Amino acid sequence: MEFFSWLQHTALASWVVQSESVWAYPSILTAHTIGLALLVGAASVIDLRLLGVAPRVPVAQLEYLYRFVWAGFWINLASGLLLFASEATEKAGQPIFIIKLILVIVALVVTIRMRREAFGRGTTAPSVRARRLAAMSLTLWAAAITAGRLMAYFK
Amino acid sequence: MAHTITWLGNTWLSSQMRDLKWLWPTCETLHFIGLSLLIGGAGLFDLRLMGFMRRVPVSAVRDFMPYAIVGFVLNLVTGVAFFVMMPAQYAYSLTWYAKLLFIVIAGLNAMLFETTLGTRVLTLGPDEDTPTSFKVVGAVSLFSWFAVLYCGRMLPYLGTGN
Repeated sequence: MEFFSWLQHTALASWVVQSESVWAYPSILTAHTIGLALLVGAASVIDLRLLGVAPRVPVAQLEYLYRFVWAGFWINLASGLLLFASEATEKAGQPIFIIKLILVIVALVVTIRMRREAFGRGTTAPSVRARRLAAMSLTLWAAAITAGRLMAYFK
Repeated sequence: MAHTITWLGNTWLSSQMRDLKWLWPTCETLHFIGLSLLIGGAGLFDLRLMGFMRRVPVSAVRDFMPYAIVGFVLNLVTGVAFFVMMPAQYAYSLTWYAKLLFIVIAGLNAMLFETTLGTRVLTLGPDEDTPTSFKVVGAVSLFSWFAVLYCGRMLPYLGTGN
């Protein structure tokens, strides 16, 4: 707890919440939403294709979209750390935040494993395992978004 | 206009909706899921129009568009719900009008593509580069949707007149 208290009182964390500038909290929050759109937008297109949507799109070509998954992830890790630091003592003990973190980690692991399963082995049709991972990825990212949004309500 | 906004906020429907405490957070959550579908589906199509992922036929990426449209409709419905519940928060916000403007630009841009340029899509095979007109349409669309997202998220902080 001492660590979270120290973190919250660093100059950077204080600036995030106390600054009147739109470049502080509002822009960091917006960056977090842009990252979400990149990550979940790209992941959901890959998931939908593996589940049978747009069958004329060659699956192998969609591996390109993983760069947006990762771009979104790094934007959200950076912006998320800043948002966390600014309210560290409250967030660290907030159950819905812990649930969101777990959902993000599991969703990311599933999305990474899906890459190996669906793109690692030539141009065959998506395996049952790949489709199962795609369904999990779609569900888990939607759940992570839900938990993230509810952080504003379940204090 | 002030009169209409006050009237709307005082209607039975508006106050009933506000009384459902779970409705606002639920609409927000659906709005975020909708934007992911919209940016994911439309963004992929825009990238292809701009000349990326050339090994995918343009006509094939189009099969994702129904999901982008589901996302858009989800966000239209939840967006109207936000407006009915808290009309004053939007009607006096410059950022909200900017958001509407970008939605109109994205919509007109898509209509222009569908009505005039779109038929050329079918003649484009895999591995083929797109004409400049397609690249412009794709870039305008991609920029507009991210501008819509930006305005939406910055709405409580920008252009509120405070």
